[in-house]
Amino acid sequence: MSLAELQGKFQAGILSEDQIVPDSIADSKKTDAATLFSVYHSAYRLRLAEFLSNDYPILRNYLGDETFGALVEEYIASAPSHVRSARWYGGRLPGFMKDSARLRDDVQAIDLARFERALADVFDAADGPQLPVNALAQIPVESWPNIAFEFHPSFVLLELAVGTAARYEATSNEEWPPGIGQGDECVLFWRSDNQSSYRVVAPDERLALIEALKGQKFSDICSLLAFHGAGEDVTHRVAGFLAQWFTEGLVARLSSFD
Amino acid sequence: MSKPTPLGFGLGLRPVYYRDILETKPNVDWFEIITENYLVPGGRPLAMLERVRAEYPIVMHGVSMSLASTDPLDFDYLKALKRLADRFQPQWISDHLCWTGVHGVNLHDLLPVPYTLEALSHVVDRIKRVQDFLGRRIAIENASTYVTFRESEMDEWTFVREMAERADCWLLLDVNNVFVSGFNHGFDQQQFIEAIPAERVIQLHLAGHSDAGTHKIDTHDQPICDEVWSLYESACRRFGKVSTMIERDDNFPPFCELLAELDRARSIFGASTLAQEGVAACP
Repeated sequence: MSLAELQGKFQAGILSEDQIVPDSIADSKKTDAATLFSVYHSAYRLRLAEFLSNDYPILRNYLGDETFGALVEEYIASAPSHVRSARWYGGRLPGFMKDSARLRDDVQAIDLARFERALADVFDAADGPQLPVNALAQIPVESWPNIAFEFHPSFVLLELAVGTAARYEATSNEEWPPGIGQGDECVLFWRSDNQSSYRVVAPDERLALIEALKGQKFSDICSLLAFHGAGEDVTHRVAGFLAQWFTEGLVARLSSFD
Repeated sequence: MSKPTPLGFGLGLRPVYYRDILETKPNVDWFEIITENYLVPGGRPLAMLERVRAEYPIVMHGVSMSLASTDPLDFDYLKALKRLADRFQPQWISDHLCWTGVHGVNLHDLLPVPYTLEALSHVVDRIKRVQDFLGRRIAIENASTYVTFRESEMDEWTFVREMAERADCWLLLDVNNVFVSGFNHGFDQQQFIEAIPAERVIQLHLAGHSDAGTHKIDTHDQPICDEVWSLYESACRRFGKVSTMIERDDNFPPFCELLAELDRARSIFGASTLAQEGVAACP
């Protein structure tokens, strides 16, 4: 048997649910081939399940060990891993849950999974500058209308079911979690001091973030918010957002349309 | 062929110990990283590695080269590895005598190789190509294995020796893996140690394992057992001044316990070296 054939059969045996032991494997003096091959067969499933448990601890808490365990088994059985690193193995889980007949209607579970995925992705996203708040102070006030922003590479904005962030936080703190309600909340994720951060953003800040992400300049963002009825003091409101974005390390670069 | 300068006694750099390492600057000569843990775009892993690297030499130890796989070499991986090495300047780069999957699948395990002439030729060719790409010799580690292939045509140590000489690579001898595989396949671990070409060995690994009764499993979640310490003593006598490192990847003890294990390795190495010198001094 060629090396390629041997490896193909060995891999097929590991991926088979029933553990098909390749003919190539001999018994040892102490035990049989099936027992020895089971070290690889079991380790594959245990290792992948551990990757998912590490990435989705709050989802596991929400679903309970039995339901989470069934989800993990289905996910592992659905397709073998094609990713190099354990960090990326669970990336498809929220999408997999949306396609799952059993879980697709459980918006709370799916959004907890999306929340935890965002935290994991933010954790080791690319590095980038994080401008201090005094970078804004160095720009003359008359130039503010023409500035645009580039956010830190870790920046992620997600629409999630209302209460997802509160449930995540309560469960992390071992408190009784609130229910997840109807409607959406917008959650901003980013990395600060090498840790994943998040916060729920109000509708007007969400709009400002989306426009800023598109590269719109400050004055256009203010105009859009005014159009959406954000109140008369729109400029001050947006200036407040800006100050917070700088303080949180969200802004990587400034550019000017002057 | 001159070996890299021995680094002394090292530990694995694991996130659970970042604080101990950075705050106490322990008496560890060097750290070994799991390469894949730092092949990320940015964030805390790379920031911590920057800080540790500023204080200690490092070695990069990978699990994804899949040198025995019949899939094509993954040059995207090798390019990323080279970039990481350019940035952090490891003393050397190592990976395993194993494969991790075929047909684009990653089974996230160090899978066993049949000790055949075909596999030997295949692995040697791939090590050479990797070394050419990286522009340096790499060190290859013997993996723990649990199964024996009927197709095998030679002993593991013969395969390892031939591989090292034909590919002109270094060897990372994992003493625990020799012990585990020896138990599982019924070979004499001392014979393995004696058969390995000393001039190729630049690093030794020590670790703990689990006992499943009929076989042992390389889990890196236990203290080093007495039998492995004893085999390490033989390795010290055979290979002399070679960098030693303790792997711990689960069931993490307080950092001081790893330091105590490292001190034991130092003592064993010191005693074996003294004994060797004593023998050499006798008329």
